[in-house]
Amino acid sequence: MNLPPERDASGRFVKPEQDLPQPNDDDMHPMSRVLFGWVSAPRTPMILLVLTVVIALGLVLVDFAVNRHEYLDFANANGFYALWGFAAFALAVLSGWPLGKLLRRDEDYYGEADTTPQDVEHDS
Amino acid sequence: MSGLLGQINPGLLLILVGFAGCLIPVQRVRQALMVATPVVAILMLAMADRGTDLATASVIGLDLVLYKVDSLSFIFGLAFLIASLLNAIYALHTDDRLQDGMALAYAGAAVAATFAGDLMTLFIFWEITAVSSVFLILRAGTKAAYQAAMRYLGVQIFSGVLLLDGLAYVYKSTGSLSLEAFTSFDQPGAKLIFAAFAIKAAFPFLHNWLQDAYPKATVVGAVVLSAFTTKLAVYAFARMFPGFEMLIWIGAVMTVFPVFFAVIENDLRKVLSYSLNNQLGFMICAIGIGTPLAINGAAAHAFAHIIYKGLLFMSMGAVLYRVGTAKASELGGLYKSMPWTTIFCIIGAVSISAFPLFSGFVAKAMTMSAVAKEGYIIVWLMLLFASAGVLEHSGIKIPYFTFFGHDSGKRVKEAPFNMLLAMGMAAFICIAIGLPTIGGFGYGWLYNMLPCTVTAPADVCLASGKEIKPYAPYTVDHVLTQLQLLMFAVLAFILLKRFGLYPPEKPGTILDTDWLLRKPGYGMVMWAGTVWGKAGPALTAFFGRIGSRTFEKIETTFSPRGALARGPLTLGMAMWSAVLLGVVMLVVLLAS
Repeated sequence: MNLPPERDASGRFVKPEQDLPQPNDDDMHPMSRVLFGWVSAPRTPMILLVLTVVIALGLVLVDFAVNRHEYLDFANANGFYALWGFAAFALAVLSGWPLGKLLRRDEDYYGEADTTPQDVEHDS
Repeated sequence: MSGLLGQINPGLLLILVGFAGCLIPVQRVRQALMVATPVVAILMLAMADRGTDLATASVIGLDLVLYKVDSLSFIFGLAFLIASLLNAIYALHTDDRLQDGMALAYAGAAVAATFAGDLMTLFIFWEITAVSSVFLILRAGTKAAYQAAMRYLGVQIFSGVLLLDGLAYVYKSTGSLSLEAFTSFDQPGAKLIFAAFAIKAAFPFLHNWLQDAYPKATVVGAVVLSAFTTKLAVYAFARMFPGFEMLIWIGAVMTVFPVFFAVIENDLRKVLSYSLNNQLGFMICAIGIGTPLAINGAAAHAFAHIIYKGLLFMSMGAVLYRVGTAKASELGGLYKSMPWTTIFCIIGAVSISAFPLFSGFVAKAMTMSAVAKEGYIIVWLMLLFASAGVLEHSGIKIPYFTFFGHDSGKRVKEAPFNMLLAMGMAAFICIAIGLPTIGGFGYGWLYNMLPCTVTAPADVCLASGKEIKPYAPYTVDHVLTQLQLLMFAVLAFILLKRFGLYPPEKPGTILDTDWLLRKPGYGMVMWAGTVWGKAGPALTAFFGRIGSRTFEKIETTFSPRGALARGPLTLGMAMWSAVLLGVVMLVVLLAS
């Protein structure tokens, strides 16, 4: 079946991919290149993940070497803070799925979609 | 050394200059005053004596203490003054007389209320904070801002009315208005004053004025608002309700519930408002514990928080100013055009997340230790959960979705220099008071100002009867456990993001308790209005008809042309009745 390239499988027109505005790095702030040039490198996400895992596991290993004295006994368990931090963060983020469904309404729900204050720059 | 300058409440100076500033049309002159006044005020505060009534007045038989400095009010007042200086610098790019003036007057009212020595003075400045701050929302100029400002004003004034009510009870029962801590809720006025403070401190279910109003304020306004009202309420709680167990639980709930709202909220200034709520919870909880260590924790947290929360609002304000929106769904990749703002925002984010070497760490550690020391296990676990939650919404969500994340393709100019300067100064303070003490530089500076030091403890520190001991935040235990908590939370973020489990940022309105007022509540009022609009005229007509019919009946019977007045007999009768009445009156007069 020969469909024109700008239609999808169900025959609807779609915008060709190459027409979408591509983020352009030519006008990047010079300081950004110095400070954050590494951010857009393709291997950065993997390096960050590995680095975080290494540091996190390292901290638990150090915990075995240190004899802590907490006011609350159970907090002395090795890796307690690690577990609690991971679980708490995951719970907070994952609860965003059901809560979003439950509580999110249209932006103009209260009839006040426009909240841009007048002291923002006018050419924006 | 305490000359005349050391005896004037610095807040009064700010209020005066602020109100006068609204009338100065020349931008540079006005703004020079706005920046210079907080500096002068800080010098005045430095000259003030501690622990005595520095300025008193007697009005209609009430003895007012207009200016009193002790170690508790000092740290709050100083934080307010530093914040007002940073805010004035942050506002330099705009030419808005009303906003400049009211921002300073608002800061002044908060400072003056902090140094008030009696309830009536506190009440007066409490109300000035409400009235002056509302302009910071109104100046945003949108319909949404106008409506939010009116709701805000209503809530704030209501808090003031409760305070006035409470202080009347206190005055009636004790004959004095002095700011003394309550010992139980049974004391007259205690509950009313508690409720007044609770509104301003944004307790659960009373919190929503904050998330409603702050994100709708002007770019500068939100920064100014974030510093004063709520921390004034925290100070007021520390002053009057230290050690009330109820505060521990309220504070713990307050740290936890905003975390969930912040996760799903799209407007990043609103996320910061929820985060503000969560931070207040730590302070309220500490005040509920009430030991010297906990009061120190609350005060240090308030000081550090005023600076880093201001910094975060400043960075989001700079983004809003340049991009025209602060919605996470429309931002991303801004590090490419706003590198300095990015750096400052990250410093604010790691400070609020309490990473070691930053101000949040040295402040929050005291509260956590105090809660653990008093054995509140569940509360402690809640605070620990909230600490990971803070990292989620303020530490990661704010900088990540604004400056990194998916590149929105938006390329703007870096923030104006004055904004960068204010952010830089705030970032400097965040680091300077967070570092280990090396040669007088570091957290020691903050710790020396705390209310409960051995040399000059505030009254509230002695009430608990616990010993005042110096606290060391940089122990191996603390650093290790805090880093474990944070690094594993960061790891959770990276993994959730990688596996697509992180909820996407979506535009929308998140329902909160204000829904009750704004949908069913508003509906009820509108319904009552419609009913009254129809029933009112109907009732008026009904009673009008009854009235006119009765009048007609009476008239046809008793009037000179009526049934009873016809014929000579009735005329004579009327005459004789009058004569008879006259005689009776005469007899009564003579007999008495």
